[in-house]
Order: sequence, then structure tokens, then C-alpha cells
Amino acid sequence: MIRFENVTLTYPDAREPALRGVSLHIPEGELALVVGRTGSGKSSLLRAVNGLAPTFTGGTLQGRVTVDGRDTRTHPPRELADVVGVVLQDPRNGFVTEVVEDEIAYGMESLGLSTEVMRRRVEEALDLLGLNDVRQRPLRTLSGGQQQRAAIASVLAQHPRVLVLDEPTSALDPAAAEEVLAALQRLVHDLGLTVLMAEHRLERVVQFADRIVHVHGDGQVTDGLPVQVMADAPVAPPVVELGRWARWEPLPLTVREARRFAGPLRATLSALPPRPERSVIPPPAAPATVAEVKGARVQYGSHVALSGVDLRLHAGEIVAVMGRNGAGKSTLLRSLVGLTEPSAGQVRVGGQNPVELNGRDLTSTVGMVPQDPGDLLWNESVRQECIESVDADEARRLFEELAPGVDPAMHPRDLSEGQRLALALAVVLSAGAPLLLLDEPTRGLDYPTKHRLVGLLRRRAAAGGTIVVATHDVELAADVATRTVVIAEGDIVTDGPTRDVVTASPQFAPQVAKVLAPVQMLTVADVLAALPEAL
Amino acid sequence: MMRAPRATRALHPVAWWLWALALAAAASRTLNPLLLSAIIAVAALVVAARRSQAPWAASFRAFLVLGVAVLGVRLVFEALFGAPIPGTTLFTLPEVTLPEWMAGARLGGAVTVEALLAALYSGLQLVAILACVGAANALANPTRLLKSVPGALYEAGVAVVVALTLVPSALAHLQLIREARRLRGQPSRGITSVARTATAVLAGALERSLTLAAAMDSRGFGRLRPLPARERRITATLTLAGLISLLIGGFALLDASTAPLAAVALLTIGAALALIGLHRSNRRAVRSVYRPDPWRWPETVTVASGVIAAAVYTAAAVALPAEMLPVTNPLAWPALPLAPLLATLIAAAPAWVAPPVSSTSGKSTADPVASLAPNDHLPAKAVAA
Amino acid sequence: MTPAHTITARSALAMGLASLVGLLAFAWPLFVDSGTWLADSPDGPWFFALLVPLLLAVVVAEMSEGGIDAKTVALLGVLTAVAAALRPLSGGVTGFQPMFVVLIIGGRVFGPGFGFLLGATSMLASALITGGVGPWLPFQMIAAAWVGLGAGLLPRCRGRREVALLAGYGALSALAFGVLMNLWFWPFIATDGSIAFVAGDPIGQNLGRLLAFTVATSWGFDIPRALGNALLIAALGAPALRTLRRAHRVAAFAAAPTFTPPAIPATPATL
Repeated sequence: MIRFENVTLTYPDAREPALRGVSLHIPEGELALVVGRTGSGKSSLLRAVNGLAPTFTGGTLQGRVTVDGRDTRTHPPRELADVVGVVLQDPRNGFVTEVVEDEIAYGMESLGLSTEVMRRRVEEALDLLGLNDVRQRPLRTLSGGQQQRAAIASVLAQHPRVLVLDEPTSALDPAAAEEVLAALQRLVHDLGLTVLMAEHRLERVVQFADRIVHVHGDGQVTDGLPVQVMADAPVAPPVVELGRWARWEPLPLTVREARRFAGPLRATLSALPPRPERSVIPPPAAPATVAEVKGARVQYGSHVALSGVDLRLHAGEIVAVMGRNGAGKSTLLRSLVGLTEPSAGQVRVGGQNPVELNGRDLTSTVGMVPQDPGDLLWNESVRQECIESVDADEARRLFEELAPGVDPAMHPRDLSEGQRLALALAVVLSAGAPLLLLDEPTRGLDYPTKHRLVGLLRRRAAAGGTIVVATHDVELAADVATRTVVIAEGDIVTDGPTRDVVTASPQFAPQVAKVLAPVQMLTVADVLAALPEAL
Repeated sequence: MMRAPRATRALHPVAWWLWALALAAAASRTLNPLLLSAIIAVAALVVAARRSQAPWAASFRAFLVLGVAVLGVRLVFEALFGAPIPGTTLFTLPEVTLPEWMAGARLGGAVTVEALLAALYSGLQLVAILACVGAANALANPTRLLKSVPGALYEAGVAVVVALTLVPSALAHLQLIREARRLRGQPSRGITSVARTATAVLAGALERSLTLAAAMDSRGFGRLRPLPARERRITATLTLAGLISLLIGGFALLDASTAPLAAVALLTIGAALALIGLHRSNRRAVRSVYRPDPWRWPETVTVASGVIAAAVYTAAAVALPAEMLPVTNPLAWPALPLAPLLATLIAAAPAWVAPPVSSTSGKSTADPVASLAPNDHLPAKAVAA
Repeated sequence: MTPAHTITARSALAMGLASLVGLLAFAWPLFVDSGTWLADSPDGPWFFALLVPLLLAVVVAEMSEGGIDAKTVALLGVLTAVAAALRPLSGGVTGFQPMFVVLIIGGRVFGPGFGFLLGATSMLASALITGGVGPWLPFQMIAAAWVGLGAGLLPRCRGRREVALLAGYGALSALAFGVLMNLWFWPFIATDGSIAFVAGDPIGQNLGRLLAFTVATSWGFDIPRALGNALLIAALGAPALRTLRRAHRVAAFAAAPTFTPPAIPATPATL
């Protein structure tokens, strides 16, 4: 269905080709998963499928890409619209109209389909993706999962044979991601659609894949069955890492498969003496309070974002704040940094009300990296961003540590997502505030970058800093957090040591915990630490 | 026996505009304050009966306020700068003569009731016309209106649709950038800060436009039906000839020595050629419309009621000049001619004929600025920004 | 750099002719003879209010005759949104008009044709959002389109001189816009008397009256607004120009994709 024949893709002004001699064939009806590190060329591969690269970006494509027999050389993207549906990263940026129904019809209007056909296909698409209840709603008022499904519905209505998706679940909470993936699964099984999808959160998607396409980063692309590729890919979900470490054969890709092998390991682990509570530093007798939230209540119009929250943050803690989209995680963080003032109750950071702090007083008390770290960056080079930080040298050092080898003359908007986060972090951390707030820091981050982030956060906490991370990423929480707070409907539902909280709830449990339950171990590193002699 | 309540739907926006423009045309045929007041009342009645909950529905009031302001300015100007009309002097202002380079204009002097009344009548005409336009603004859904843009203007129409959709996110982004500046301890006031913030919003918007363009292109935007070169040349010739004809006709209008009929002929031919050219360029687009707004009998009746008013007023202006254009010198109470009054009442028909709007309509597709969803990362503060 | 929208000879001709008619629609009170229909009937302004939308439609149709590509349309939509979002910030006595700054810088970077379209769509979008579609709208649209067009036609230069040039143009165009809209408004608000136009008078006389009218109505807004625009461009010009030029480069309007056949004869792809 999709065929790459010896394809080399070079962008204008680029020294190295983004894709080099790629030959690839995705048969009809397969779900192929594209994996690789950030900036390795996954997006280029996806965009080459319908000719966006190079028709749209400029550059040279050597070789041939055909979809359903149509050559991208002779068919510009718009002429492939009825064969390939493309959903790019962050679907909100691709919406043309205001209302769900109109958006679904938009592409068909461009194709000039008749009114009757459009009516029928809009209804089909609404049903297939479960959007009938929101068909008249403005797109921007939908939840992230609904928006993603609306974007898929809007390309699906043109009856493409191939669906290309760039990170469809990276911005979604686990439940919403589930909705989207279930919908995709149904499309593949019921309609025989061919799907090509890039995704960083392999733990969510790898079990759905019929084939994995590995983009190596040097322009090489290989593909194979999931079990083969996962055996040595540098990016792998925790369950695969556990399987590789334990040398399970064939390599398990899902929790279910891994549990079949895990019996002996569970027995060994439960025989070990109980381990002490995970903590970066030994808890002092009376930990110092860094920040305190008392009865905070925040309301936007009729929507209650926080309803009387109490929270005390201590030095040396890494706190994960989890919960659905819109549960109040961001609002809690915002009120800690004084962007939102509670209508009732109070917030104190270092004994001060953050709303009243400004300039250097604020940055030396509390730092926050917002959901889109790019918002913090408005200068025209990495160097300039560092110079404008509170401590330029410290900012430069931290950035080099997190994202080694980046040209300081680069424009922040040309950085990869991970590098951009690194720069925003460096800028914020250089102010040296004892309290650091991160809102969804792992969106679009690959595993190696995530590991470096985790290392940095641990060191900050060990030095007595306090870190609050609002996240959907259960693996990150399991990896780094000492304490986990779960928020629902503006209330704190659970607050306790991460190990207790996440193992108690299947929704927040990381893969390793699910494999090893009832043994309370969260990550491969935990297992390694408990069984140093096993290797 | 009870009749089933009528189904709610929105009247075709083009029908509202045609009705309102026809009523405005009627208002332009008279200076009779009684008729003008009747027209304003009819516009208000229809707006009250058939407007939705959407934010733009509030614009009728804004137009009335604007009209009253214009009327006020008009009266003040008449008192200050007006040409002297003999009659009942109301009061006398000190007289000033402006320097020669300002055309030696005269200011002040005696202000007569007759002069003020004349200004009031013509000012009221502006208020009435503005009320009609305001009614159209309040009743017609702008996004639906853009669906009726002819194919020749398709791309520009899409750009406006995109803009209307994006304004709220541009405002939300502005708010996020301001917050980010606070997070970095940067001042939020001063011209440098405004410049930085504006540039950041611009940069974000531009980045977004590229994604949008890629998405649009992959969804088939801009598929054209290639027209034969001959056909394109004919269209171009028609259009350009039309414009030239309009230009000459326009100059002829200015010139007293040209026969008025010649000017009218040139303008009519020019407009016709331009319209034919426009119509022909519609053919290039391969496009269909999903769920076009239906045009049923209420639309026709609505437009007809406005057109009847316009026609009766036009005829009355010729047949009954004294009633339609009452003089203020000597002072007299204006008469109320019956035919135009009845025509005005007919124009109120849409208040009943147009289908009712549902009490929630418009709320969901509300105005982009007012309906920022209060979700976690778009705080309500952004609305106030 | 390659303009985002290429003006063909045909659309340039249409734009020129329509602009002349448009100018006539604004400036007729200055030129009209006494004894003509325009001079005697109060319907003149309404006639032009119907004519100008037709002119705009014809020009935009001619400009999009060969199709406008998705990149240009998306860019146009996004910049229109920014301009329209900035419109409510405009006005008042302080007189900043960030909307015009967007028009000017957009026209400068993406070329005269784009500037023309941007001016027209920005005015239209902001009127639709605020429910302010009135007889003035076509005139505002064509005047703003000229502002964008003019910005694209300014002479080439770079660096400080460019910012100074644009700031000067910002002030001048704000004044010109004010005068044009006054010209449009004039016959409505002053029908007779010493600051109303007198058909058939020498143009100098009528200009003097227009000046008196302008001083009486909007001078207090127009001059601070012109200064405000110049200041804003001076402060924002350099980074905004860089930002837009960067976007222009990334958008690769000029970059023609090239396809070359496979280096090795194509073999059936292997799994």
C-alpha cells in the first residue's frame, strides 16, 4: 500500500539527508509504528508518504514514493487527499473551521463531493469515532482526546486507504489516549485501513503494532516484526526492558505476556526482606515546609478548578500530581506560582504570597516551566536566552548538561522538543528557586532525554530542592516521584508515597508494577537495585 | 387543538442582509421623521423577535448608540458651522471666521430652530439606516454568511474563516506569553515588553500557519479545475473592460457637461461586465458546500417584505415629495403618508414569518472572543485580556 | 525574497483600475461639479457604498484567479487573526494601532499583493467579530488594503534605515487613513455650511474645508495615532521583521521541490 523505493530526502540548506536510501513496504491493512529518537527523521518519513516532503518543505527527493500506486512525484498532497489522510502533531493547529461537523466536511468540500455523499460520510465518521454528542460543539471547547478524534474523523471522511498520524496520543491523559487508540484499532480491523503512526509513548501503542519501522537517526530506516525490532531498539517501553533484562523469549510486548514469564521473578523478589521507602535523601526528622496550600479554591466562571485543596510541600521532595485533563493539576501549579489567585484559602511559598511577588523576588522563590516550554523563549538565539536569564553562566551550564552539543546561535524555535524543554528548564533553574514546578514535562520527549531529565530532577531534590511535576506519564512518576498526589474534580483524592499510590490503582500503575504485582516494584531500576547479583 | 410549535432554525443570513439593505434603501428615500421612526421601530421589533443568544446579537444596540452619537455630532456641527437659515432664532453663538487656509469658514452666529430641525431630520435618516444595518449584524450569523462567499473569492473567504476561528487562540496565547514573562521575572509593562510580547505572539501564530497549511493541503485544499487559456482571457477582458467602464462612468458623474444618462449607462455596463467576470471566475473552483443554509419560503417572504418597502418608498418619493421630504421652513408638523407607513409595517413581517431561533442557538457557536472555554490551561483571565 | 503572493500583470491592472475608481469613491466631493446628480442628491455616498464592495470583489477574484496556495491562505488567515485580535487594543487617545503595524510589517515582508489582501481581510474579520459591518466597512477595507499594498512597494533597504522607513510610513499611512475615512464621512456629517463641501468650488477651497472638518472632528485622534504607530514600529519593527522573515524562509515559498529518479534501478522493496 505504501512503498518507498530507495528514497533519499534532502532538505534545502541541510548538510545531511534526512532519509537515506530508504526502501520500505507497508502492506494493506497493517498498523505500522514508527519509532526513533526525537529529531531522527520520523516526521520526515511520515510527511514523505503524501508528498508534503518535499513538495511543501522544498528539497530533493531521490527515489520513488508510491501510495496505492500513485506517485508523489506526479501527485501533490492535495491530489492524494482521497488516498492518504494525514493528522499532524497537535491537531488543534490543523483545524480550519469552528465546529466539529463542518471540520469533518471541510475536506470533502474541497474534493467537490455531492451533498448527499457528504451527509452520509459525516454521519459515518461521527459514529466511527464516537463524536455524535459533540457534533455541534466548537472544536476548541473539546477535550484533547475529542480533538484528536475529530482530527482523525475529518481526514477519514475523505475515505482514504492510508492514515498517517504523528504522535496522536502524546498530549493525552491515559484514558483519552485509550479512546484514540481504541478508535484506531477499530479502523484497522473493521475498515482494513493501513495506518502509519509515530509515537514516543511506546508503552501505550506497541501492542497494537503489526510492524515497527525504526528510524535510526542517521537517515537509515529498518523495519520488522515488533518482537524483532524491540529486541535491540534503543527506545523501548519498560516491559520490554524488563523482558530483555530477564532474557524472556519470545520477548513480551504487553503486560499480559510478561506476567506469564514473571512468576519466578515475583517469587524471588517477594522473598527479599522489605525495602525502605524510596527517597532521594533520608527524610530528616522534621522536614522543612517549602510551600503550603490551605483550603485553596479557584473557579473559572461556573467551572470549579480547585475546591478547597490542602497541600504541604517539603524540602527534598519530588511530588507527582496526576489526574485527568482538566482535573485541576495545572491550576494547582498556577496558584503555587501566583498566576492564579484563589478566591478562598491561601497559598504560601517560602512564607510569602506568590501573587504579590514580582521580578527577581518571584524567580528566586519559585520557578515554573509551563506546558509549552516554548512560551518562555522569545529571544532569537539560545545564547541570548541564556544571557537574559537570572544567572547566564548557570543557565549555559545547565543547558549543556541537559542537551549537549547544541549550537548556541540556534533559534529556539528550531530546537527539537526535548532541547526546547532543556533550554526552558535551564533558564528557570538558573534563578535558583527552592521550588520548581513542571507542567507536563515529558510531552514529546524520547526515553534518553527523559532519563537525563530524571537525573537532573533527582540531583536537585538531593540538594534540598522541591519539585512538583504535573504529569500523565505514569512511568515518569514511578521513576522519579517520592510522593504522588492524585487530583479529581478539583479535589485531592489520594496523597501518599508514590509506591503505595501507584500500585494501589491500575490506572496509575507503571508497567513493571503491573507485571510484578503484588510485589511493590515500579521500575526496572528498582528491580535491578533489589537484585544486584542477578546479573 | 394545538398546533405543533414551529421548528427552530436560523434564517439564511443573506436573506437578513437583503431585507435590511432594502429597508435601509427605503429609509434613504425619506426625511420624514415619523416614517424614519417607524422604520427604526420595525428594525427593533424584528431584532427583538428573532435574534439569537449569540454575542453578535448585541450589536443592534451598539449601532443605535452610534447613530444617536452621529445625530448629536450633526446637530452640534449645524449649530457651530451651519449655513444660516433665516427663521426662529433659538440662541446666538459668538461669530468667528477661520483663517483663509481653512477656506475662511465661518463659525457660530444665530442658530435657528429651522436649521436644527433640518439637521435632525437628516440625522434621523442616518440613525434609521444604521438601525437597519445593525439589525442585519444582529440577526445574521457571520460564519454562515461566509459560506455564501462566491467561488471566485473562495481563498480569501477561507482566510477570514480561519482568522475568526483563531482569534480566541491568539488572545489566549497573548495571555500565556504575558504569564511566561512574569515567570521569568521580566517586567510586563513598557514598550519593550509590549514589543517582546507582540513578537512572541506573532512568532507562535506564524509557526502555527505552517502546520495549518500542511493540514489544508493534505486535505485537498486548492484543487482547481484548470480552465482553458481562452476562457481565462475572456474573463480577464470582461473584468478589465468592466473596471474601465466604471472608471469612465465615475468621472462622468463628476462632470456637469456629461449627460447624466451617459454616466448611468457607463456605470451600469461596467458593473454588469464586472459581475459577469466574477461569475465566470466561480467556475475555476472544484468545491461543494456541506449542508448549505436552505432557502425556503420564509427567506423569500422576508426579502420580499423589505423590497416592497423600498419600492413603495421610492415611488412615494416621486409621487408625494412634500410628505416624504418635509420642509422645516416654515415650521410645520410633518404629515404621515399612509402608503409608506403600511409598507413599513409590511417590512415587520419577518418578526413572525422568519422561523424562531432556539433559545440556546448561537451559544455553542458563540463569538470566538467571548467563549474561551474555562479549561485548565485557558484561564478565564484570557478573556479579560 | 519571493513574495508570498505574486501579482500578475493582469491582476496589477485590475488593482490599478479598481484603486482609481476607489479613490474616486472617496474623493468625489473634492472634484464634483455643481449641477450634477452627485452634487444635488444625498444618495451619492450610498451609491459608492455599493460600488466599492464590487471593486474589492473583482480585485480579489483577479488576484486569486490562478488559485492561492495553502501556505499563503494559512499565513493570511493567521496574520488576519493576529491583526483582528489586536484591533480592540487600538484607539483611544493614546492612539496605538497595533493592527496597522501588523499590516505594514506583513506587507513589507510578504509583498504588496499579500499586503493588499491582508488589509482587506483584517478589516473584514474584525468587523465580523465585533458585529460592526456597516457602510463604512468597504471603505475601511480598501483603505487598509492600500496601506498594506504601499508597505510592500516601499523601496528596498535593511537594518535601522528600514525600521525608520517603516516607522515613517506608519505615521504617514495612519494620517492618510484618517483623512480618507474623514473624506468618506464628510458628506454624511456636514451637509451644508462652512465646513461642508461645495460642489463646483475650486479644489483648494474644498481642501480647506476638509481640513477644517478634520481639525474639528478627528485631528485629536489622528495625530497621536500616527505618532503612536511610528513609535510602535520603531520599538517592534526590528524583531517583528526578523520573526516574519524567518517564517518566510521556513515557509519556503520559493523552494521548488525536486524529484530525481532512484540512483539504482528500482527493485521491488524487500521486507
